[in-house]
Amino acid sequence: MAVPIDVTTGPGGPPEAGATSSGRAIEGRSLGQIAWLRLRRDKVAMGGGIVVVLLILVAIIGPHVVGNPDLYHSNLVDPTVLRPTGSFGGISLAHPLGVEPENGRDVLARIVVGTQYSLLIAFLATALSVIIGTFFGIIAGYFGGWVDAVIARTMDVFLAFPLLLFALALANVIPYSAFGLSGNTLKIAVMVFVIGFFAWPYLGRIIRGQTLSLREREFVDAARSLGARGPYILFRELLPNLVAPILVYATLLVPANILFEAALDYLGVGLYVPTPTWGQMLSIAVTNQYWQIDPWYMLMPGLAIFITVMAFNLFGDGLRDALDPKTR
Amino acid sequence: MKRRGTIATATAAALAALVVTACSSGGTSTTGTGSSGNTTSANFFNKGITQVMNPSTHKGGTLTYESHAAPDSFDGGNTYYAWVLNFSRLYEMAMFTYKSCPGQCGLTLVPRLATDMGTASPDGKTWTFHIQSGVKYENGQTVTASDVKYAIERTYDRSVMANGPTYYQAILTDPTYPGPYKDKSPNKMGLTAIDVPNATTLVFHLQSAFPDLPYVLAFPSTAPVPPSADTGANYQLHPLATGPYKFQTYQLNKQLTLVPNPQWNASTDPQAKQLASKIVMNLNVNQANIDSLLLTNQAQVDAGGVGVGPAAQAKIETNSTYKADAVNPINGFARFVYIDTKVPPFNNLHCREAVEYAANKTTLQDAWGGPIAGGQIASTVNPPNIIGFQKFDLYNALSQPNGDVQDAKTQLQQCGQPNGFSTTMGYRNDNPQETAAATALQASLQQVGIKLTLKGFAGGTYYTSFCGDPAYVHSHSLGLCAGGWGADWPNGYGFLDELSNGNAIAATGNTNIEELNDSVINNLFAKANTLTGSARDALWAQIDHQIMTDAGILPEVYQKSLIYVPPSATNVYVQTYYGMLNYLTIGMSSGS
Amino acid sequence: MIFFIIRRLFMTVFLLLVVSLVTFAIFFLVPRLAGQTAYQLAAQYVGKNPIPSEIKTVETKLGLNAPVWLQYGRYIKGIIFGTHYNAGPDVSYCPFPCFGYSFRNQQPVWPQLMSDAPVTVSLAVGAGVLWLIGGVAIGVVSALRKGSFFDRFSMGMALAGVSLPIFFTGLLALTLFSYKWQIFPNVHFVSLTANPVQWAKNLVLPWIVLAFQYAALYARITRAGMLETMGEDYIRTARAKGLPERRVILKHGLRSTLTPIVTIFGMDLGLLLGGAILTETVFSMQGLGYFTFLAIQNQDLPEIMGVVLLASFFIIIANLIVDILYTIIDPRVRI
Repeated sequence: MAVPIDVTTGPGGPPEAGATSSGRAIEGRSLGQIAWLRLRRDKVAMGGGIVVVLLILVAIIGPHVVGNPDLYHSNLVDPTVLRPTGSFGGISLAHPLGVEPENGRDVLARIVVGTQYSLLIAFLATALSVIIGTFFGIIAGYFGGWVDAVIARTMDVFLAFPLLLFALALANVIPYSAFGLSGNTLKIAVMVFVIGFFAWPYLGRIIRGQTLSLREREFVDAARSLGARGPYILFRELLPNLVAPILVYATLLVPANILFEAALDYLGVGLYVPTPTWGQMLSIAVTNQYWQIDPWYMLMPGLAIFITVMAFNLFGDGLRDALDPKTR
Repeated sequence: MKRRGTIATATAAALAALVVTACSSGGTSTTGTGSSGNTTSANFFNKGITQVMNPSTHKGGTLTYESHAAPDSFDGGNTYYAWVLNFSRLYEMAMFTYKSCPGQCGLTLVPRLATDMGTASPDGKTWTFHIQSGVKYENGQTVTASDVKYAIERTYDRSVMANGPTYYQAILTDPTYPGPYKDKSPNKMGLTAIDVPNATTLVFHLQSAFPDLPYVLAFPSTAPVPPSADTGANYQLHPLATGPYKFQTYQLNKQLTLVPNPQWNASTDPQAKQLASKIVMNLNVNQANIDSLLLTNQAQVDAGGVGVGPAAQAKIETNSTYKADAVNPINGFARFVYIDTKVPPFNNLHCREAVEYAANKTTLQDAWGGPIAGGQIASTVNPPNIIGFQKFDLYNALSQPNGDVQDAKTQLQQCGQPNGFSTTMGYRNDNPQETAAATALQASLQQVGIKLTLKGFAGGTYYTSFCGDPAYVHSHSLGLCAGGWGADWPNGYGFLDELSNGNAIAATGNTNIEELNDSVINNLFAKANTLTGSARDALWAQIDHQIMTDAGILPEVYQKSLIYVPPSATNVYVQTYYGMLNYLTIGMSSGS
Repeated sequence: MIFFIIRRLFMTVFLLLVVSLVTFAIFFLVPRLAGQTAYQLAAQYVGKNPIPSEIKTVETKLGLNAPVWLQYGRYIKGIIFGTHYNAGPDVSYCPFPCFGYSFRNQQPVWPQLMSDAPVTVSLAVGAGVLWLIGGVAIGVVSALRKGSFFDRFSMGMALAGVSLPIFFTGLLALTLFSYKWQIFPNVHFVSLTANPVQWAKNLVLPWIVLAFQYAALYARITRAGMLETMGEDYIRTARAKGLPERRVILKHGLRSTLTPIVTIFGMDLGLLLGGAILTETVFSMQGLGYFTFLAIQNQDLPEIMGVVLLASFFIIIANLIVDILYTIIDPRVRI
C-alpha cells in the first residue's frame, strides 16, 4: 500500500524571509514566525494539531487513569450469544465505550492503552525513517556523482520490496525471545524496525531532491567561497533549510505508520495477545465475527484509528501549506 | 492417541437411556418414513446426536461442502486432520471403520474392507486379517491384500509422507523399514512385519501384545494403493477410489469435485451410501461465508466440522427455526493445562492441588467460547464419549465452577507456600482461545497469590521444541503448559496412554507433559494390554482417577461444536467417534 | 531508447537477485541468529506427534541442514535451470521458472502462483482503472471549482479515504452490503472466463473499497497539481489564443500534472499486483495476497520466496513502464 505522501510538484524551496506585515514598522520575520502565523490562521489544521496534542496526552497519562484493560467481566456478557448484555455494546457509566464481546473487557481502557502503543511505534518508526532518509538524502544530493548513484540505486532496491509482505514475513519469523530481548519489547523493536527501516527511501528521495536544488543556491556558493567545507555546509547551511520539508513529511509519515502498524496487528503479527492494540481489536472483531453480533465493538478501534490519522493528516497538510505558499 | 483426534458423543449416562435409531445400511433401506423427499418427522435441537435428521433415500443432486482451510493431504496415507479422516472414507475404503449410526452405536468399530475383526494369536503378537475379494478400484482393477500392505508401507517413508500417524513404526516389528521407494526387494514388499500369504489375507507381526490394533487399521492409511498407480507426493491429486465416490477434478487449494464410482458395490460396503450425483468441496473459504451459505441453504456441510462462528451462533440461538436444525455435540477434544510434576514447587502434590482448586472454570469456559460453542466444564481427563468414561469431581470443578479459593489456600498452606508463589506458563500465542484461556487462568490464580508469567510460543514448534521438550521446560521453569487432546480411537488407551504413561515421556514431542511416572498408572496400562472386553474398559476410569489424584492435569473443558444442518441435507447425524456429521451417508434433498 | 530498456532490464535482474537474497536471509538466517536449529525448523513441517528420526529425514529432504549460502545457491540454480524433486516412486521436474516445491503439499509453487494471479490482477486492474479515472476527475473538478461545496466535500471525503484503514472500510462494506442488505451476497471470486457477469458483480465491492482509498490520494494530488498549473502563464496564453476551455484544461493543464500521478499510479499498481493482502483477506478472495498470508502462517518458505519475488518483479516492471511513459508525457524528459 502506498505511503500517502504527496509528491511535491515543484522544486519548492523555503519561502523568502523578510515579508512585511501591513502598516507596522518593517521587521524581518524568520521563516518559523511566518509559518506559524499562517498556520494559526488555518483553523482546520489547528484543530488537527490540538487533537494530536490531546492524543499524545492520552497516550502518556491515559493508561494510568483508566481501569485494567485485561480484566474480564463475564457477568456483562450473555454466555450463549457472547454479546454484551447492555445496548450499544454495553455502554454504561462504568464502561463509557462498552465492553468486549465474550469476555467483557472494558473497551475504553483497551483503546487508551492501544493509543500508547500505536503512537509509540509510529513515532519511533518515523524517527528511524527520518534519520536514515535525511542522512542519505543529503549526502546523495550534495555530493552527487558516484555517491549519489550508489545511494539512488540502493533506494531503488528498497523501493522494489513489497513492503507489507516483507514486514509480515519478518515479523512472523522472530521468535518469542531473541537478540537479548523478549516478549513485547522485542516485538515493538521488530515492528519499529520493519516499519521504519524499509520506508526510508520515501523520505530519502524527497530530501535528495530538495538538496539537489538547494546546493545550487547562492548561499551555498557564498559559504564555500568563505572556505567552508563539506560537513559544515551540510549541517549548518543545508540542514536548517531542510527542516521544513522534513517536518512536513515526518508529520505525514506518522499517520501512514499508524495505519501500517494497525495492518500488521490485523494480520496477526503485532504485539502479543492480550496486549490491546487497535489493529488487533479489529482483527478479533473479524476472526470471531463479532462485527456481525456487536458492530459497536468494531466501530471503536476503527474510529480511534480514523480520528488519529485524520488529525495528523490535517495538521501535516496545514503545516505544508504554511511552509510553502505555492500549494495554496 | 494423538492430540487432534476425532471423537464426539453425548454423555454416556444420557445415551444409555435413549433409543438408538437409524443404523444406516447401503442405499436400499433407511429408517424413518418417506421413499423420496424430505423429513416427515420434525427436527428439534440436538436431534442429530441420537437420531437421523432429514432421512431420505432420494438419489441425485449436488452436495456442497465448504471448508475454511485446505487439507494437509487428501491422500489417506498422508493425513491426520480429523475432517479428512472422516471425508476420505467417501473415496477410500480402509480395513475398518466406525459404524454409521447415531448415538453411542457410532463408537463401534466394524470391518469395512476387512471381512471380520481379525484373529489374534494367544500371545497377542500375531494378527490375521482377511479382506473382501470382490472390491475393485475405479479403473476396474481388483483390490488384493498386497495393495493394503503397500499402502501401509508407503507411510514409512517420512520424507514423502510426513503428516500421518506413526503407529506402525511403534507397534509392528521391522520399524526401520525405509519405505517402498527405497525398497530393494522385488514387488516392493520388503516390510517383514506384514505377510501376504494369499490375495485376501494379511498377517501382522507385533513387537508386543496390542489389543487395539484394529483401531489403528481404521486409519485411511490402510486404504489399498496399487504400486503401479502410486505417484508418491502427487498421489493426493487423484487417489484411486475404492469407495462410493471418485475424484473428478481437484484444483489444489481451491476445489475438489467427486462423482459416483461405478465400480463401487453397495453390498460390499454397508456403512456407506451413494446418494448425491456430485459432491463439490470448496477450500479456503472464509468462515463467515460458510456460515451464511449454510444458513441460507446454499451449501450443505461445513467440512471442518468444528461448528459455526460466533455470529451464526447468535443467530441460531435466537431463532427457533434455525435452532431446531442445529446440533451441539461434544466433539471428543478436551482442553487442559499440564502441571509439570518435576518443576518446583509443583513437585509437591499440594501445590498442584492448589491450582486445581483455584482455577475459575467459568472464565476458562468463556475463553474457549462459552457453554455452547466452547465446551462443558470438565472434571476428568477422559471426555464423556470415551468408552469406559466415569464421572467424578475431586476438586469441586463442577460444584464450585468459579473456583474454590478456600480449599486452594488450605492446599497452599500444606505445601509450604501460604502466600502463593510464582511460576511460568507456556501456551500457543497463535491460538486466540488458548491465549484467552491462559489469560483467564492467570487472573484466577492471582486471587490466591499464585503469580503466572505467560510465555507464548508458535503452534508449529510448541510440542517439538518448547512445552514438549522436557529439557526446555526444566531450564525455563515452565510449571504449567496449555494443551489439548483428542484420542485417535475412542477408548481410554487411545486417550490416556500418551498423556500419562511413564514410558511415554520423550525428549522431544513429549505428550506426557506433566511427566507423570506413577507406578500405579504404569501398571494399570500394562495390565490393560493383557485384558480384553469390559474388564479392560473398566481400567480406563481407574487411570483417569489416578491422574486426577496426582493432580497432574487441570482439565478445562470437553469441547463442543455448534453444527447447523441446512434443510437440503439428508441423512444427517453426528457420528459419535468423529464428533462431527457422518460424511459417509449425507445426501441431497429432492428439492435441489 | 532501446539501450535504456536493455540497461533497465539488466537492472531488473540485479534488483531481483538482491531481493531474493534479502528474503532468503530473512527466512533462513534470522531464525538461526535467533537461536533455532535446523532440527527445530524442520519440526514445523511434519504432522502431529512425529518421531525424531522423521524430523531428521524431513530436515535432509528440505535441505535445511545445509549451510545457508548453499541453500541459496541451490535455490537460484533451481529457478533458472529447473529443479528435480523426489516425489517418491519417481522424480518430478519443474522447468524454468521453478520456484521450488511447497514445504506443505509438495506441489510446485509456480503453477500455484499462476492460478492465483488472475484474482489479484482482476482486483488490481479493475480498481486501478476506477481510482485513476475517478480520482483524477474529482481532483480536476475540485481544482476548477475551488472553494465550492463540491470541492470541500470531495476533499473531505478524500481525507477520510486516506485516513481509514482498508480492512475497516472493507469490513463496513461487507457488513452493510453483503450481510445486512444482501446486495452482494457471498462475495467470492468467479473466473472471468467462467462467468463474466458474476465475475464483475462479485468484484464490485472490493473494487469500490480499494478505489475509495486510492482515489482519495489521487484526487488530492491532482487538485494540488492542477491548482499550481492553472495559475501558470502558458494557460493564460492558451486561453487568450481562443482555445476551447476543455482543451485548455485537458491538453495543457492536466498534461503537466500527470507526471507525478503516473509515477504514483505505476508504483501503486505494481505493489497491488504483488498481492493486495488486506483486501483479499477481508473479502476472502484467493489471490496472491491471500496466498502470501497463508504461506507466511504456514512458514512455507518456497511459497513465500516465490510470491515475494513475483511481487518485486511486478513493482520493478511497473516502475520501468512508468519511466518509459514519462518520455511520452513529458517531452522535456530525456532518457
